[in-house]
Parts: sequence; structure tokens; C-alpha cells
Amino acid sequence: MIFQNIITGIETTLGFTTVSPIVNYAIAALVFGALIMVLITIFDYIFGWIERKLVARIHLRHGPTRTGKYGLLQNAADFIKLFAKENIIPARANRVLFLASLPIVAAIFAFIVEILPYGAGLYGVDLTLGVLVAFVLISFIPILIFIAGWASGNKFSSISAQRSVLLLISYEIPLFVVIASVGILANSFDFLQIVNAQSSWWFIVLMPLGFVLFFIALIAELERPPFDLREADSELIAGWLTDVGAPLYAISLFIDYTRVFLGSLLVTLLFLGGWDGPVLPPYVWLGIKVLVVAVFVVVLRATTPRMRLDRILRLGWVWLVPLAILNLLWAFVLATGII
Amino acid sequence: MGETKINIGPVHPSTHGVLRLVVTLDGDTIRKVEPHIGFLHRGVEKLVETRMYMQSPSYMEKIDYVAPLSYDELYVATVEAALGITVKDRAQYVRLIQLELQRIASHLLWLGTAINDIGQLFSVFMWCFKDRDIVLSLLEEATGGRMFYVNQRLGGLNRDMAPGFDKHAYKALDYLEKRIGEYQEYLESNPIFMERMKKIGIMSKEEAISLGVTGPTLRGSGVEFDVRENYPYYVYEKLHFNTQFENGGDCFARYRVRINEMKESIRLIREALHIIPEGDAIGMPIRLIGPQPKEKEVMVRRELPRGEGMMYMVTEGQRPYRLSIRAPSFINTAILQHLPKGHRLQDLFPILASVDTVMADVDR
Repeated sequence: MIFQNIITGIETTLGFTTVSPIVNYAIAALVFGALIMVLITIFDYIFGWIERKLVARIHLRHGPTRTGKYGLLQNAADFIKLFAKENIIPARANRVLFLASLPIVAAIFAFIVEILPYGAGLYGVDLTLGVLVAFVLISFIPILIFIAGWASGNKFSSISAQRSVLLLISYEIPLFVVIASVGILANSFDFLQIVNAQSSWWFIVLMPLGFVLFFIALIAELERPPFDLREADSELIAGWLTDVGAPLYAISLFIDYTRVFLGSLLVTLLFLGGWDGPVLPPYVWLGIKVLVVAVFVVVLRATTPRMRLDRILRLGWVWLVPLAILNLLWAFVLATGII
Repeated sequence: MGETKINIGPVHPSTHGVLRLVVTLDGDTIRKVEPHIGFLHRGVEKLVETRMYMQSPSYMEKIDYVAPLSYDELYVATVEAALGITVKDRAQYVRLIQLELQRIASHLLWLGTAINDIGQLFSVFMWCFKDRDIVLSLLEEATGGRMFYVNQRLGGLNRDMAPGFDKHAYKALDYLEKRIGEYQEYLESNPIFMERMKKIGIMSKEEAISLGVTGPTLRGSGVEFDVRENYPYYVYEKLHFNTQFENGGDCFARYRVRINEMKESIRLIREALHIIPEGDAIGMPIRLIGPQPKEKEVMVRRELPRGEGMMYMVTEGQRPYRLSIRAPSFINTAILQHLPKGHRLQDLFPILASVDTVMADVDR
């Protein structure tokens, strides 16, 4: 486990042993947390740039070009600008909830990415029910968004909050059913075990239907187009973010990119064999797979119109839930070893 | 659940200008929509009264900034009717070509913004914008201006088409035809797009006629009425013009009419370029004191990209005594009170887009 490595590393470099294992553990957790956050920030930064450039290319534009080489510094400039601005709180908003909800959402995302593994030996904690923990935490997000939308006291935000609940009830169930079939196939809810179980065949090959369902449900869960009903810019201005000021909006951008990272990582871990791959080192493989999935999410954003609300409910209940159950049965069949 | 009133606009990403809609919602269902207009009123009609006849065309172009040439031509045609001036033979063809090019440019911009309104993140918008640029380049070649042209003169034009224009035009039209076909294929094979447009904002034939809507919005409801065919002007009679209409009455039908109109315009321009006569197309130069008006009252109607535009002019010496403009957008905007009723809030935006309002045209 990487914690132990960090602790021994600290002890050897500093040349002393700390007082108790709890302090050791806390220091290791902090170091690991900082490490992963740096990783996420780097990904967010690069992904933000890729998204801007790629969407611009699809639009036949150039995207950012002036700030740094190929506009690489544009995101940094934007973040500095956003944080330098005044944080305006609407008079009608519930101050505490309005200010707290976005950082809490960001914190939850940050927490989820901390408990995921990034390689055979690169993980913080090895939870036996890691998949369940991750997805239960993810399903908190729509509720928090509901609170955030309601707290801002804006009508557009509160409509967006209601839509958030609608998405929650349409996509949570198929998502969890697909996760259950992954669990059955891998015989575990531990991310490491799931990745190990894919060493011969990736789950995308064994359960192509499950992969498609999972991907659709995850896109809906992560509020990306064509399911971006909460943030529908041409309808609700910015949905639950309509009234947030610039610094909070910067946090929401961080959330936006982090959840793409999280979604891509989950798809990679559960269906694309995680860091499994020939020749190249494992972390490179993980990086490549995550980026490919993330780029696919961006292309989806640039090409699809927004779905209708009732259609989303229908898609969720009439198609995704039955198909997810079918996929579960298929996972049973595979798990028994008949085929 | 009680009713909620929400205020969409005047500053909203999908209202394309300063349209304010006060929407009464019951849950997610629209009960009532009240359009509020007038934020962009400039008093064009009054301004025209203080100017000589040919001082106004450049001002007319600003009424509808998406299709300025159409208004320019409509006004000049009204003055021509009042002064009793006939348009030169070649100039009639050139005007027709320019008007149809303007129609393509206007519909392309509409297509882009409409797709943007239903939640497609600017891709189609940017593509359409780029294709519109090709049309604008053609117009620039023909008139010298990109955004505002002011190329119409009494009895003809300020500038005839540049030599070699037809060669460029044929090439550009081939490209545009291909692109429009691609958009149609891309959009109509997209189930989300079809769902957002089909069976949304259905307007029956009777309703459309009684509300007085015109243009593609009317023809989308199955009414076969186009000023170009029913009251032809210039050489539309000589060309084989077919009125494009659809029977659906929904947003999709209105979209389809516009797509087909672009194709029809391309065909018309090709035909006109083919049979355009040689000769002189230059109109009268602008003089402070022009010819005296022959008619006391005139009314001219034209098929503008957004619908039927009319100008009623009462003349008095060297300047109009009164000019009244029937702006198609203004009357088409009225259907926003009726169509979205009973729909979801989300469906308001395809309906709003399918009406194709230009707020500068509404408020004048």
C-alpha cells in the first residue's frame, strides 16, 4: 500500500520516527491527498485546454491562441481573473447554503478521486466496497446541486434544481444495476480486483451492452451534453449556476473538469481494463485511456443537441432499466462459466 | 403546485435581441406567455418623413440587420412605384439574384441560431456562419458591402455585378447546395433534433391565417402562399419558381420550409444567372431634387426572408408624408402568445427559434 511507502519515505528522508501510527497515517494521507490533487489539477488544466481547442476545431475556430504557446496559459489567466473578481451574493439567496454548496460539491469530487486507484501499487486506501462508496458519493451530487439551486433564490436555478432531481431518479437505478453486474463478473466491489479480473478480457468485450448503458448513465450523472439539463445554457441561462459570482464559478469549472476526469477514470477502471496494456508502463496506459474517454465526452458535447426532459425519463425507465437488468442476467450467465 | 412567473429576457441567450417573455408556468407546463416588445424602438417611420426619398435606404437596411438588402430593395421599390419609375431589364435580374442571396444568408443564420437554441453547443451555428460568409462575399463582390449594401438606386443599381461574378456564384452555389444537404442529413438523422422539433408548437392552417403570420412560418402550416408566386415582381414569373410549403405546422415543418427555400433560392439564382440579359443596370444617381412623385399613395409588398413585408407610402413633394411598414417579424411574434401554451418550458425555445424574429425588425 502506498501509504506505507510514503511513511517509510518520510522516515528515511527526515531521519526520525513519528510518535504514533495515527500521526504517521495522517501525514501519509495528507501527502497522498496533495499528490492526487496535483494530479487532478494537471489533468483539469490539460483537459480544459484540450476541450477548448477541440470544440474550437469542431466549430472551425482556432480557440485560445494568444496566451502562451498555443494558448496553453489561457486557463491560468481565466482562473486568476475569476478569482480576482468580486463574489456577489444575491439578496434573495440563502447565504450559508449558497456559499457552502459549491465547495462541498468540489470537496466530494476531490474525495472520490482520492479513493480510486491509479495503478497496481498507486492507491490511497484499498476499500473492499470501493465501487459502492464511489457511486454512493456521486449520487449525493444531484442532491447538493438541488440545494445549491434552491439556495440561490433564482427561479432559473430552482427549475434547474428540479431537473437535477429528475435526472437523479432516471439514471441512478440503471447505473447501479450495471455496477452490480460488474461486481458479479469480477466477484468483487474492489477496484483493484475489478481491474485484475480484466487482465484476460476487458469488461467492454464481455459486456458491450453494459458499457453503453454505463456510459450513457454516467454522462447523465455528470451533467454533460446531451443531458446537460441542469446547466442548459440556452434555456436556463446557466441553470443552478445562474447567480453564482466569479470565484464560485471558477470552483464550478474545477468541478466540471474534475467530474469528467472522474467519469473517464471510472469507465476506464470498470470497463477498459484500468492500467492494463502491453509495452508501455501502466500509468501511461491509464492516462491514454482516460484521455480517450474524455475526448469522446467532449466530441459528444460538441455534436449533440440537448434532450427533452420527458424523453430522458422515458429513456431511463423504458430502455436503460430493462436493458441494465438484461445485462445483469448476462453477467450471471458469464459468472457461472457456462460460456 | 402554484403558478410561477418567470421572466425570459430581455437579456437571455435564446431571445436573440431584446425580446422579453413573461412566462407563467404551472410546474413545468406553460400556461401563458406574454411577449413584451419595444426595447429597440427607433422611430424609423418618423425619421423617414424628415428625409428626401433617396436619403433613407441606408436607414431602411438597419431595420432588419440579418437581411438588410431585402428592406433596402423594398423601400426603393416603394419609391419607384411612387415616382413611376420602371426598373431596367438587367437590373431586375441582378436585384433578384441579390435578394435570393440575401435570403440564403438570412436562413443560414437562422438555422445556426435555431440549432443553438435547442442546445447544440454552437457547432452548427459556426458552420452556418462560415457558409453565410461565402454568401456575404458574393454580395460584397456584387455590391461592395458586406453587412449593409445600399446598392439600390431608382430604376436600377449603384453597381452592376462585377465581371466574372457568375463564375464565382456558380462555384459558391454548388458548395452551398452540398453544405445545406449535409446539414439536412446531419440534423434529420439526429433523433434528439427530431424530437425537439417534431410535434412542437403546432399551428393549424386556420390559426396561421387568422393570426396573420407570413413567410416560412405561414408556409410551415400548409398554406401555399408566397408573394413571389402569388403577386410576382421582377422576373419571378419568368423563372420557374415553386412555393415551398410543408403541412406539419410544427417547428420541424418551419425548419423544413426554410431549408427547402434555401435550395429553391439556389436554383433560382442559377436560373437567373443563366438567362440574365446583357445591358445596362445602373440606376439614377442620387440627387437632392429628384423627379416629382406621380402617385399620391402607394403600397408595395415583397417576400422578405422573414415573411411578407409591405410599405405604404403617402407622398408629398420631395419627401414621404407618411411611411408605414408592415414588418413580418412583428406580426409573427404575436404567435408566441398562442403556440407555447400547454408545452413544457423546454419547448418554448424551439418555438421561439422557429418563428425567426429579429427584434430590430419587430420594434423598428
